[in-house]
Amino acid sequence: MNLSKLIKLYPVLLITIVVGSGCTKLDQNLNSTLTKDQATNALGANGTQLLLQTAYNDVGNPYSDPGNILALEEVTGDETVVPTRAGDWDDNGKWRALKQQTFGPDGVDLIINQFNSLNKLNFDATNVLAFAPSKGQAAEARFLRALSLYQLLDLFGQYPVRNPGDNLLNAPNVYRGDSAVNFIINELTAIIPDLPATNGMDKANADAANMLLMRCYLNRGAFNNRAAPTFDDADMQKVITLGNAIISSKKYSYSANYFDNFSPNNSSSKEGIFAAPNTSGVATNNTGIHNMWWATVHYNSYKPLAPQSGWNGFSTVADFYNSFDIKGTPTQTPADTALDQRIGGRYYKGVTDVSGLRTGLLIGQQYYADGSKVKDRKGNLLIFGTNFSPDLKETGTNLEDVGIRVLKYMPDFSGNGKNYGGGTSGNWCMIFRYPDVVLMVAEAKMRAAAADNAGALTLVNGLRAARGAAPMTAMALVNPNNVADPNTLLAERGRELYWETVRRTDLIRFGVFMKPWALKPASDETHLVFPIPSTALAANPNLIQNKGYQ
Amino acid sequence: MRKKLLLSGLFMLFCLLTMAQQRTVTGTVISKDGAPLADASVIVVGQKTGVRTGADGTFSINVPSDAKQLQISYVGSETQKVDISSASNVTVTLQASSQSLTDVVIIGYGSVRKKDLTGAVTSIKAKDFNQGSIASPDQLLQGKVSGLEITNNSGQPGAATTIKIRGNNSIRAGNNPLYVIDGVPLDGRTAKPGLNFGSGSGLDFGTTPESNPLLYINPNDIAQVDVLKDASSTAIYGSRGANGIIVITTKRGTSGGTKIEFGTKFASNAGYMHKYKVLSTDQFRTALHTYSLDTLTNSLDHGGDVDALKAITQSSLSQEYSLALSGGNETGKFRVSFLGSQNFGFIKKTSLDKYLGNFAGEYNFLDKRLTINFDVIAGHTTENMGLVSNTAGAGGNLISYALNWNPTAAFTTSNSLYSKAVSSVPNPLAVINGYNDVANVNVFLGNISAALKLTKGLEYKFLYAINHGAGKRNTSIDGWIDGINGVSGIGDAAISDAYLTSETFTNTLTYNTTLTQNLSMDALAGYEYWKTNYGNSSLFASQFNTNLDQQSRIPILYTSLFQNAKTQTPLVTFVDPTTEIQSYFGRVNFNLSSKYYLTGTIRADGSSKFGANNKYGYFPSVGAKWNISNENFLKSVIIINNLGLRASWGITGNQEFPAGASQEQFNSGSYSSFGQSNVANPDLKWEKTTQVNIGLDYSLLKNRIYGSFDYYHKTTTDILFQSTAIQPAPASIFFINLPAHLINSGVEFSIGATIVSNSNLSWDASFNIAHNKNLLKDFAQANIATAQVSGQGVSGTLAQIIGNNEPVNVFYLKQFGGFDQKGQQIIADQPTFQGDPNPHLLYGFATTLRYNKLSLSVNASGASGFYIYNNTFNSVTNISNLQNGKNVDASIIGSPENINASVAVSSRYLEKGDYVKLRNATLTWAFGDLGKYVKNLNVFVGGSNLFVITKFTGFDPEVNVDKNQNGYPSRNIEYIPYPTPRIVTFGFNLSL
Repeated sequence: MNLSKLIKLYPVLLITIVVGSGCTKLDQNLNSTLTKDQATNALGANGTQLLLQTAYNDVGNPYSDPGNILALEEVTGDETVVPTRAGDWDDNGKWRALKQQTFGPDGVDLIINQFNSLNKLNFDATNVLAFAPSKGQAAEARFLRALSLYQLLDLFGQYPVRNPGDNLLNAPNVYRGDSAVNFIINELTAIIPDLPATNGMDKANADAANMLLMRCYLNRGAFNNRAAPTFDDADMQKVITLGNAIISSKKYSYSANYFDNFSPNNSSSKEGIFAAPNTSGVATNNTGIHNMWWATVHYNSYKPLAPQSGWNGFSTVADFYNSFDIKGTPTQTPADTALDQRIGGRYYKGVTDVSGLRTGLLIGQQYYADGSKVKDRKGNLLIFGTNFSPDLKETGTNLEDVGIRVLKYMPDFSGNGKNYGGGTSGNWCMIFRYPDVVLMVAEAKMRAAAADNAGALTLVNGLRAARGAAPMTAMALVNPNNVADPNTLLAERGRELYWETVRRTDLIRFGVFMKPWALKPASDETHLVFPIPSTALAANPNLIQNKGYQ
Repeated sequence: MRKKLLLSGLFMLFCLLTMAQQRTVTGTVISKDGAPLADASVIVVGQKTGVRTGADGTFSINVPSDAKQLQISYVGSETQKVDISSASNVTVTLQASSQSLTDVVIIGYGSVRKKDLTGAVTSIKAKDFNQGSIASPDQLLQGKVSGLEITNNSGQPGAATTIKIRGNNSIRAGNNPLYVIDGVPLDGRTAKPGLNFGSGSGLDFGTTPESNPLLYINPNDIAQVDVLKDASSTAIYGSRGANGIIVITTKRGTSGGTKIEFGTKFASNAGYMHKYKVLSTDQFRTALHTYSLDTLTNSLDHGGDVDALKAITQSSLSQEYSLALSGGNETGKFRVSFLGSQNFGFIKKTSLDKYLGNFAGEYNFLDKRLTINFDVIAGHTTENMGLVSNTAGAGGNLISYALNWNPTAAFTTSNSLYSKAVSSVPNPLAVINGYNDVANVNVFLGNISAALKLTKGLEYKFLYAINHGAGKRNTSIDGWIDGINGVSGIGDAAISDAYLTSETFTNTLTYNTTLTQNLSMDALAGYEYWKTNYGNSSLFASQFNTNLDQQSRIPILYTSLFQNAKTQTPLVTFVDPTTEIQSYFGRVNFNLSSKYYLTGTIRADGSSKFGANNKYGYFPSVGAKWNISNENFLKSVIIINNLGLRASWGITGNQEFPAGASQEQFNSGSYSSFGQSNVANPDLKWEKTTQVNIGLDYSLLKNRIYGSFDYYHKTTTDILFQSTAIQPAPASIFFINLPAHLINSGVEFSIGATIVSNSNLSWDASFNIAHNKNLLKDFAQANIATAQVSGQGVSGTLAQIIGNNEPVNVFYLKQFGGFDQKGQQIIADQPTFQGDPNPHLLYGFATTLRYNKLSLSVNASGASGFYIYNNTFNSVTNISNLQNGKNVDASIIGSPENINASVAVSSRYLEKGDYVKLRNATLTWAFGDLGKYVKNLNVFVGGSNLFVITKFTGFDPEVNVDKNQNGYPSRNIEYIPYPTPRIVTFGFNLSL
């Protein structure tokens, strides 16, 4: 009897299930995002441009925030130091580890952040190629990818590359050594004809691609043997040829005031070749360029926001200040032209008259716009000095004062000071600048099989003249016994390009990265390249941990 | 429901009975307090004859002339037998059941008598709920259920809690159990818009705490809560069962006259439960002298004497009024309830206002063959929140301002304005005054079901439910507040919206039958469709023209003149991918002679979240029980009333990962950009937890001692995990099913006792304790670091690890080795494993002592064997802040630490979290009936969070500030949280 009941139950059960089954196929409706098919159909030709813009957006922040690429390229070098100031700037010891080159395979958080953010650029640029780009769009995307690959190669000694449309669950190929350099060179060579000669410095252009190509040729010897770089004459000739073409195009010229290249109005700079754009007062897509001054100036540096007008961190050392071959004190008047402009310490309209902050390297007593002396948070006079504690843990009464500050980007005080911080500053982030072309040509001339030291000196002195600095009478590439020797091309590159994310690469290429310098003892080969983040290694077995970090 | 089916079955049998000699017995069934009990079941012992009581509690039953006893049972009461051998009219008074084995336990899609239950379920009835200040229903259970850990994430009334049943089952956020309310599964999210004043907004406050998803359930409406712990009871919920299920059953109307219940409660905050020790004014002055800071040009001594931690708090009188009307007859019952409450938070200007209405009804048609049940909840809440964020950076939040405030600095100036920031610490009272953050949320929960008895024992039920919430949050920070970067002189505001809509369709068939004389079976088959949608939008603005200086303030919030802002970020909208789950499930229970029970369940869940290759998952379970006490050899053992051995095995799932994670997605970025945002993983599927449970239920000495013991072992595999993306990739992570094993094993023990029980004096006590061990095994990935430590000087540091052969979230910190000669901290170069944040032991204790009309109930609970990271001490109150004129931790007195020592994250700030907390003590005077109309008048006074015994130096050892890193959850980090107050409550309730 019970069995028959059970049997009767079936039709009802069946009805229930049949009615139910019709309900849904469980296809997920994404609502505010698109599937790939939808993206391809809906965005159409315009969509490729939208994807390309995403890649452009990836460029800005990694280069604009001193806590990103700049930290890896500069704090590890001789021109930048971030001392621990009692309760501030310990940050798990990462700044000391970078400066003293003591980080191990676990590295510091910055390393994986940069690995990921550069690879996001790598990905987004590659993805453009899967969406039927025009020739020009493809060339722009491949330039952006080449930029990320070059930076990855420089930092990590290897980089992964995907083909457009790859299954992202598969591990991509990894390039290292000469094949890595060649891949980038081939990419750039292939796209240069498709890039516009003039495209604005916020977009990929032929000069930017040529300049990146110059960097590849110039650094190939260092990328292939970081401990003891050698330079192939053919590569040097390429650098000279490419550089001369840019120089002779006369599209670029030195700015009358060095700091105009970094001002809130620097979008009109004649030195800019490639940059990430920003608009004053606009937060959308702002690269966070205000961090360039925020990270260095003192808590009290800008009176209306004191004691929170800066983070009082990034600084530089006496050796670098002295490399400007100081023969006097900047007179701190707008008219002062007696010294190398680049050392700064001078009045800058729109900045000094608003805040009292001056250009470049800030040393000694600091003043507000009204002439009153800036004080630290305890009420002592704020006098920037260079008396660092050797272990970089500042405990003395000068812990807020120690370190020469570097105001390379001129703070944006537009909008009654509202754009000083908060991600609305209008300065463009300079990524490639014309003087580097000139300096690379000079370096290649000196490194060529038939070295042309005189030609190099002429180029360098031309630049120095534009900066108001006295000409050098003789210039070596580098002084291996004194990295801070001012009469070298390495020092000149430092003076011109400080805090522009090339210093570590330069020190390696000039063969002195393992030498001791201020606040860093002699070091071994390990830190010539950063460790591959362990999580990235686990995800992609094609990556190989760098020597010394295994 | 099944019980009623059984009863109607009995009616039919009754009609068939043809006995020779019969007589009639009449009677009345009343409750302890004299109220007639309608619908109580009256049967003749030894026979299947039975009737039910009418609305007035009376019954009339024909019994064989030789019948000796009647058995009377009623839901929620002790079943009682009454002698009728020489009586024809009886009055039966039923006692409310304690942990009685006749209790009905609500399980998935049905209910079962506790003694027939094969699974591990803890059922808590309304009378055993926690008392005192209850903002949301989960607080009713704190400390009551073994193996259930409920941690308040914030002291803000209405804030979310972290709930873990039997340990940490997952290495993702979203570990809370599934809530099921009257058969309707909830989404678990709320429509209160979240707010992140992080990098995107240009501010430094970070994320704000979440809100509790159960806020809309009136705690007074809850009849019972069942916590489903093992796989036999949770597998019926399939891919959502792995974290356990909390089943909430609301009260229904009862037959009989219309009853009005009224209750009111007043509460007042009465100081810190555990105050954070910073320097007092005197100590501060002494410290300035000790560290030669009293000779500075700008004196750090401002001459005053204030206590900022006290000044930010309030003791305003919170009030709650609740009213319920209920009534009905045999064919229809209803219950209507209202709750209006205004609950003031401990921090000034914070509060939670609730207005909840609930209308529930049950009506029978077609000779009771058709039952329509409905329940409609309409709720409105207003939350006033303080500036207490989870991840504030160097800028801090209100709590850090109060901790750091220089105790010699007055809050107001001579012209009674708020004083400016002192030593860059914003004036906490100014911040309270100028910060307005109000979330208004409206929620509608409605469900209707129809149950139709098709034939004897066979019932079909249809349920439709909709849960819709819409929230709006206005946040405004006045620009006149001094000392907050990005706020001062500018002003900031945000308007955010969110909505959440879930729908449930359920069809079930149940069938009860006796297969043989001793073997009965009930079976369930069902189909369910569940769908949920969530979306939000937010708009930030800054640079306002008004309220930029204190003197010229206008009483208009920035959110009321938003267009005035110079900078407005574009409206950012986000619509979560729709989640749909389609399920087929079934359960069968066999009962052989009430000695041997077997339960089997299966559920097939298809979810739109899963990858294209894995749309459906299957979740089976079996459970068995041996009621040893029903065996002949134990029947003669008088002291044992019940002894049941349970065992179960099953597989449950977890699908709490972001919808859309399995698909390739392209999203719109800002400024004419579109890009890929997710890596597709078509193989993505649910996470699977296999659980074995062995349990013993016991009841001794006339049921005066009762409880249970359980052992469980859970293995979670196919762990849903945010794996490191294989670069180059559109995002740094993507979801995979990790081939590792997350193991939770433990034991739970509970004991309850009725120590004394007579008309003058009664004393009940219960105790529960649970041990859990958590371990991640076969984790082949590189260790994942999480738990971001926040604040000045420690940014970028993570305190915990998810790694192989360690408990999830184990602390991984550099060892602190004291101070060197310079007073600098000695800290190891490399971090090492430092301890487990997951409690190893959880325990709870409750007792009720009654003498005549006066009763005292006390509830305490605790945890031990775990660590807490004191991020507050580390980065807010560390010694180096003293020289900047900030108040610091009182422990600096006599410390060898150099005042200029660098700040670092290390094991120094890891503290033992062990605690015992007196959650509540309530004294009640039961006046009983007063005059002709007032019934059951109770007046009570009580205190919550009265004290805590702990060595932890922070505000509350029960702390879980959300410090997740890229979605990897953190555990037990204290960072300037909303503090926990002591609360005194008093009130009364009565019925008419």
